[in-house]
Amino acid sequence: MTNPKLLLPVTVILAQASALADGGAVQLRKEAGPFVITVFTAPAPLSAGPVDISLLLQNRNGLEPVLDASVSLILRSEASGAEIQARPTREWAQNKLLYAAPVTLAEPGKWQLDVTILRNGERTEATGTIDVARAFEMASSYWSYIAFPPLIIVLFVIRERLIRRKAKR
Amino acid sequence: MDPVAAAVIASWSLDPKLLCLLLALAALYLRGWLRLRIELPRKYTIGRLAAFSSGLLAVLLALASPVDTFGTLLLEAHMIQHLLLIMVAPPLLLLGQPVLPLLRGLPRWIFKDALGPFLGCRELKQLGRTLVHPVVSWLALSAAIIVWHLPRLYELGLHSQAWHGAEHACFFWAAVAFWWPVIGVWPSRPAWPRWAMIPHLVAADLVNTGLSAVLCFSDHVIYPSYQLAPRLWGISALDDQSAAGAIMWVPGSIAFLVPAVILGMRALEPGRARTIRPMPRVKALRVSPRLPWDLLRTPILGSILRFRYFRRCVQAAMLLLAAAVAIDGFFGPQVAPLNLAGVLPWTHWRGLAVIALLMAGNLFCMACPFTLPRDLARKFAPPRYRWPRQLRSKWIAAGLLAGYLWAYEAFSLWDSPRWTAWIILGYFITAFMVDSVFKGASFCKYVCPIGQFHFVHALVSPLEVKVREPAVCGSCRTHDCVRGNHLQRGCELNLFQPKKRGNFDCTFCLDCVQACPQENVGILRVLPGASLREDRPSSGIGRLNRRPDVAALALILVFGAFANAAGMTEPVMLWIHQWHARLGFNSTVPIVTALYAVGLLIIPAILASASGWVSRRWARAGASWKDLTCTFTLTLVPVGFAMWLAHFSNHLVAGWSTAIPVVERFFSRVSPSSFPQAWMPGWLPSLELIFLDLGLLLTLYAAWRVAHRFANGERMALTVMSPWAGLACALYAAGLWIVLQPMQMRGTTMMHGMMH
Repeated sequence: MTNPKLLLPVTVILAQASALADGGAVQLRKEAGPFVITVFTAPAPLSAGPVDISLLLQNRNGLEPVLDASVSLILRSEASGAEIQARPTREWAQNKLLYAAPVTLAEPGKWQLDVTILRNGERTEATGTIDVARAFEMASSYWSYIAFPPLIIVLFVIRERLIRRKAKR
Repeated sequence: MDPVAAAVIASWSLDPKLLCLLLALAALYLRGWLRLRIELPRKYTIGRLAAFSSGLLAVLLALASPVDTFGTLLLEAHMIQHLLLIMVAPPLLLLGQPVLPLLRGLPRWIFKDALGPFLGCRELKQLGRTLVHPVVSWLALSAAIIVWHLPRLYELGLHSQAWHGAEHACFFWAAVAFWWPVIGVWPSRPAWPRWAMIPHLVAADLVNTGLSAVLCFSDHVIYPSYQLAPRLWGISALDDQSAAGAIMWVPGSIAFLVPAVILGMRALEPGRARTIRPMPRVKALRVSPRLPWDLLRTPILGSILRFRYFRRCVQAAMLLLAAAVAIDGFFGPQVAPLNLAGVLPWTHWRGLAVIALLMAGNLFCMACPFTLPRDLARKFAPPRYRWPRQLRSKWIAAGLLAGYLWAYEAFSLWDSPRWTAWIILGYFITAFMVDSVFKGASFCKYVCPIGQFHFVHALVSPLEVKVREPAVCGSCRTHDCVRGNHLQRGCELNLFQPKKRGNFDCTFCLDCVQACPQENVGILRVLPGASLREDRPSSGIGRLNRRPDVAALALILVFGAFANAAGMTEPVMLWIHQWHARLGFNSTVPIVTALYAVGLLIIPAILASASGWVSRRWARAGASWKDLTCTFTLTLVPVGFAMWLAHFSNHLVAGWSTAIPVVERFFSRVSPSSFPQAWMPGWLPSLELIFLDLGLLLTLYAAWRVAHRFANGERMALTVMSPWAGLACALYAAGLWIVLQPMQMRGTTMMHGMMH
């Protein structure tokens, strides 16, 4: 048995466990410097626990996606002051126009979001606030797997009755 | 290529579940198509195969390609996705005439035993006919298209993965029903004449056209999400909506009207009606009896397995690996994630062993390195004694197994390379000493706890070393499979092939395969768990379901699976440490010892005894408590195995890459600058839940079948099995809870880094 310090990596592992699809709900849309920044979060509605944060950077002129920037995020809980840093990348994103990163929002409430973009030596910053709901029960996302055995049992019962009915005829 | 275009093309969202489903369907269809092509070559042409494959590809494009990824940003991409699901994939799949190939592609037992009663059911046939009736299917598709394009429902689909899936399922299945009478899927009989499909298609096009027009000509954005979405390349939401309407209108109309024109031209062909021959009756559905599939008769793998020195080669490789692990364990860094002894046995070997049990059989014992040195020593000094009669049971092994499970948790064996190395060395010494004194494979049969783990769980494996044709053994007088001959020793575990049932005590050594002069022993495919229901004596074992030692072993393994996995969950770890602090012990060993004594020995014994007692009260006269308890305990093995599988596959998948730097360090003797961290893919909990689901179902099925032996009639069988079914469901619930808890990733750098 090991000491409880191990629980922290446990949480980090859980954060990584959920490779959520990027995109999702639009949380923030801002024009900053030469960019139009759109921040998405998944799942929708956003709840405490493992989430996926992704950004779309577009040029202000023509709204062409920007793919060669370096993006970093800082999330700060307004309630507890807890801080999370992340570095979204296009490699992590399914939609390769986006920069995505998985993070774990440990608590519900308002979180301040600071976005920093570095491109061609220029630094652009944007801030906003996102609302995080209470964590949903993990079991609810796996309901189909939990419902599978009862479904098969019902089908089995029907099958047995059909066999019996055929035998009676 | 333009980087933006390259990024768009690379934006695939490959879901392993979808890929597995499509690959399974493709494999089933191909298998059935190959069989049917022999019987009905004119009906099952290459074109049918191509159509079905293209249909699957269309589904993949719809649900995994950039069309899906960009569906939330661009309505036109979303519209293409819907067209693929409604107008491309279903007709292509149905042109492949998939009913018979998919049925014939299924394993015989699923087709005949599981689906057979449903396929013959009158009401279901009638329901099927109703669903694909032109009027019903037209109404269904029209309703699906209209209702899901209502702004409120469309928005629901955009904001929820589950509702989006439901929307796609509605489109796809309504479209399958719609296209069914148009294509005339065999062997169903058409409700209306072919020409009547022309108004069916035209009427569907009218609905499609009406909806397209609304999208095209609306002066406001109908779906607010697209108004909020960032506009890519400056395309406005309204332009996007008009483009989506145009896509729905033009290609949609083509999809409906071209088949209508083709049907019209065919209807006008002179004399065509007379040339249509009646369809052949369902001769193709008849299933001819075949010999079970034999791994040893597969082209390349079979030859390799039959090679006389194959086992020795694998054992030698495993011996070298074990030596490397032991050396590193003794002399390498005493940090588990940096040491071969901290990574290979606990993360990789255990995971691969249970996957081998699931996919094939007891491959670990086949490759066991521990018996190789004693085999070499026996060449010079053969053992003289027989294993004492009083000890010919599994009690010693069961005790060692319980002790091992306790020690693993109490002393964190996984975290100590030196302890791991001592265990390996101890194993070699014990195997060598036991088998130097006693004849046969006494160590494997009566002592080895790892062997017992594999013997018990191989009862649910899909392959079995078995006689190919029993009639051939009827005339055998030499019994080489068990006695051996001058070239090859016989089975050291005394399993006489013609009377062997199941995989219990079988080490997959293939000595019997090599010894049989008739080449009548193979590795045959069997129904997983079939031997759990056996009530016949097996050679070298007796009646498995009447042996308390085997029942005790099974019980320890079943409950050990849950105790072992629970020990690495956050709530259990916290609980142990709370009690540790509260009671003021120096270590957690006393608490773990108490937990294991209760969880591994006392609770299982009480629950099994009580369940046996309850079953006895309801069973027919003559059934003893001992028989009932031993028999039903074995039926719990699948749910326990499922937990082991979920647990060990979790470690294997999350930590598979941890071996690479450790192996590099072992050979270069230089510590790498970085170590890969454990990473758990999103699909892993789903896979673990599937294992648990299947384990529970197999346990319940085995219990149901076994219950009939102790009951007169189905109602009585249900009551007899009910306490065991309740126990299995409780274990399943515990498994669900464990899988959904945060897990400690043992044997990874991340874990260790945080420890210190």
